[in-house]
Amino acid sequence: MLKTMSDPLSGFTSLSDRQLAELDRTCGWSLNALELAEVRRQFKKMGRQPSRGELETIAQTWSEHCKHKTFSGPVAFKSGGKVKKYKNLFKETIVKATRTLNRKWCLSVFTDNAGIVEFGKGGKWGLAFKAETHNHPCAVEPYGGAETGVGGVIRDILGVGLGAKPVLNTDNFCFGYLDSRKKLPRNSHSPERIMRGVVEGVRDYGNRIGIPTASGGIYFDDGYLLNPLVYVGCAGLIPVDKIEKKVVPGDLIVSIGGRTGRDGIHGATFSSANIEEDTSASAVQIGHAVNEKKTLDVLMRARDLGLYNAVTDCGAGGFSSAIGELGSETGARVRLEDALLKDTRIEPWEIWVSESQERMILSVPKAKLKKLEAILEAESCEYCVLGAFPGNGRLLVTHGEEKVADLPMAFLHGGVPNFEKPASRRKVRIFSATPVRPAKTYGGILKELLAHPNVCSRHSVITQYDHEVQGGTVIKPLQGKYGDGPGDATVIWPQAATLDLHDLSGFAVTHGFNPAAGKIDPYQMALQAVDEAVRNLLCVGAEISRTAILDNFCAASPRDPEVMGDLVLAAEGCHDAAMAYGAPFISGKDSFYNQAKDADGKEYPIPLSLLISATAPVEDIRKAITMNFKEAGNPLYLAGTSCRGLGGSVYADMMVAGNNYIAPLDMKAAVRLYTALLKAIKSGCVAAAHDVSQGGLAVTLSEMAFSGGFGAEIDLSSAAKEKDLSALELLFGESPSRLVLEVVKDREAEFLKFVEGLPVPEIGFVSEEPVLEAADGGERLFKEDIGGLKARWKRELI
Amino acid sequence: MIIEIWTKEKYAKNEEAAFLGRLAHAGLDVKAARLSRLYRVDAGFSEETFSRIASELLTDNITEHCSLKPGKAGLKNAYRVEVWLKDSVTDVVGESVKEAVADVAGELPEAVRFGHAYYVQCASELKLRQAVSKTLVNEVVNKFRIEKC
Repeated sequence: MLKTMSDPLSGFTSLSDRQLAELDRTCGWSLNALELAEVRRQFKKMGRQPSRGELETIAQTWSEHCKHKTFSGPVAFKSGGKVKKYKNLFKETIVKATRTLNRKWCLSVFTDNAGIVEFGKGGKWGLAFKAETHNHPCAVEPYGGAETGVGGVIRDILGVGLGAKPVLNTDNFCFGYLDSRKKLPRNSHSPERIMRGVVEGVRDYGNRIGIPTASGGIYFDDGYLLNPLVYVGCAGLIPVDKIEKKVVPGDLIVSIGGRTGRDGIHGATFSSANIEEDTSASAVQIGHAVNEKKTLDVLMRARDLGLYNAVTDCGAGGFSSAIGELGSETGARVRLEDALLKDTRIEPWEIWVSESQERMILSVPKAKLKKLEAILEAESCEYCVLGAFPGNGRLLVTHGEEKVADLPMAFLHGGVPNFEKPASRRKVRIFSATPVRPAKTYGGILKELLAHPNVCSRHSVITQYDHEVQGGTVIKPLQGKYGDGPGDATVIWPQAATLDLHDLSGFAVTHGFNPAAGKIDPYQMALQAVDEAVRNLLCVGAEISRTAILDNFCAASPRDPEVMGDLVLAAEGCHDAAMAYGAPFISGKDSFYNQAKDADGKEYPIPLSLLISATAPVEDIRKAITMNFKEAGNPLYLAGTSCRGLGGSVYADMMVAGNNYIAPLDMKAAVRLYTALLKAIKSGCVAAAHDVSQGGLAVTLSEMAFSGGFGAEIDLSSAAKEKDLSALELLFGESPSRLVLEVVKDREAEFLKFVEGLPVPEIGFVSEEPVLEAADGGERLFKEDIGGLKARWKRELI
Repeated sequence: MIIEIWTKEKYAKNEEAAFLGRLAHAGLDVKAARLSRLYRVDAGFSEETFSRIASELLTDNITEHCSLKPGKAGLKNAYRVEVWLKDSVTDVVGESVKEAVADVAGELPEAVRFGHAYYVQCASELKLRQAVSKTLVNEVVNKFRIEKC
């Protein structure tokens, strides 16, 4: 038995595998047996015992959070008797697509805290974009977890290159159904409670720091009852000549922003483990947006004066990760006694790994320290000089006379062993028969769909966020005549960062997400997520040929071969979709072990969840369009072919459909269609566009109608559709690559030239009467008052 | 000193209705409720200074009123629930208010902590305790107490 920490550490190299595993559990490192054995072997080779600080440093650096061991590791994927081997799944799928596409406008990909693409006219600016997850902390303390998640991703943007100025926050959440009747395990929070806390955390941090939170989504599934997913993103502007950073030997290590405390110890290793019933909140904290704003203001001023050579954020792993990362080539000499502390009752190794918030690490030339200090003092931003980057490739950390860590960087960053993970294709039975029509009217089904949590209005959440601060939110998350219509994408004009009122360039941001499809076919889910994101960008008139995307994977335990199989298929889907749409991945995030275990030992894994966040430039923000009907008499067109199958649809979640088929996505046809439609939108002949996604075509038409205060008369007999498509599938199916367009009446002929030869039939027109009426030839499908439809849709989520 | 800030009754309907909805969601039937914000200011200021901090700094005098004697909600047979962040948890609001108090009083207080008080007219303290645990506090970061008032 291990009685005290000093016992096992003094004899670390002689511990058995079982003792090592026990030590790992006691210390909360989340290292596996192979990794522990490698650490033991390395110290045996060095001929000495490790210190606690060294083991903590290794645990942080080798954590799933920092090293992405699952996604970047070898995988053997078994499917139908064949085995496909990957040496590095991430590089052979996601990165491969980006490298093959090799877009010149990608300025920095996969190397820094965020991806950067060209922005605006004149080649002066880059747009940095990144999303993060903060799932485990939000399961334990939703408010603090969400706040620090937002703070963390903002620091990623501040720490990319020499620092970008944040101009937009994004938020995407997954929760269990708020009215779920499943019995929750002890000590867990109800989904309503988690959602309220998460929304308030995102709201308070974003609003207080002064960055608009203006793009996101909420998804409900009981798979997220114990493991909510909280994806938070941030976009920022950076001058292109500030993208390169390099630590110069001799530079000082300067920490700016918040003080270091005992809070947030083991956040990185926490994310490499399943949540257990007795998980404590030591890994989460409450964020301090005002401190981060001070840090932001200092960085922007110091960056423009060239007062530092490199910067990165203190995220998971704290100083150990940030200083270790900056000094990966030069080494680092750190004196922890110089750190500014919140609490003096803290061990040296705790200072080293603490994840206290709002801290950034700068590499500062000695000669420029005084000028930097003047700015820090002017902004009331606390700082300390922790040491220097010596250039000898060695990490030496001390606290007074005590040696906390003395390790070669090559071992720390290159020594993590990785092993092949088995993956297998999940067996899902597909039912493709014509879905049975329930004993309800189509109008009745439509009303139920509009009130479904995955379709209904998010106004009660969105209106809590300040999405106008900085004065650049051109196309807002809520749109239309009454300012409450559900927009497809947000368009930002970042003049607050560029200070150039003559450049009307903007950028659009949106997301694609459908884990319900992933339960049936993870490959198609990935294709559809990319397709939805690109289509959403198209709906506001963004230049989709320059779409850049982020992959944000969340999955259950990778020790389950079927979870790994889902991941392989989705990663392959990401590759194929990126190639087809010409949209490179520029950054990403993965989060595993989203699998909770209650006191009775029952496992609660999440479904594979892939959020595709996408951005594309908008040449002239004045020409961006919204989704609501604009004028009575304007003709309506349905672009794209409606395919069979209700698999992954909201309808299938709500009713017994007897059909879970997902039609394969024809990406070449989609790209042809979108290219033509973009020309039409740019020419100004399209008044409104809205994608067909959750809830299907009937929901899309309803949203366009009640957001504009107009009705419509629709005849779907002319719609492009697969043979034998039922009315149920046509109205409520969610086959991708479809959007509804309102065309300016006087410019219809011009529009038709753009879409000649493509599946873009006219399906009706906007009417003055506030009634949405749909027919299929002689058969009336439904006739509903738009006020009644809106009343069902506009329910209060919280 | 604990300073209590109330929304004036004529403006408090929305926050009270939302609060009653939350407790109902947690399975508690509540007849009436009142809400207030609490600031615990640890400093040796005079009562007059505390009064100035309360009325000039912490209260929006159009929609709110303040009290230096917490606990008077005007509800009969009610329970008072007081919720604070644990002392080990960073209190961002308290930290910001601490700086602002120094600007008004000319002296930095030792500490400022921010909390909430809820006055709830309901039948059972036990059920109230369960509802509070379920919806108002997270005992990982919060501490709370319930008393009859």
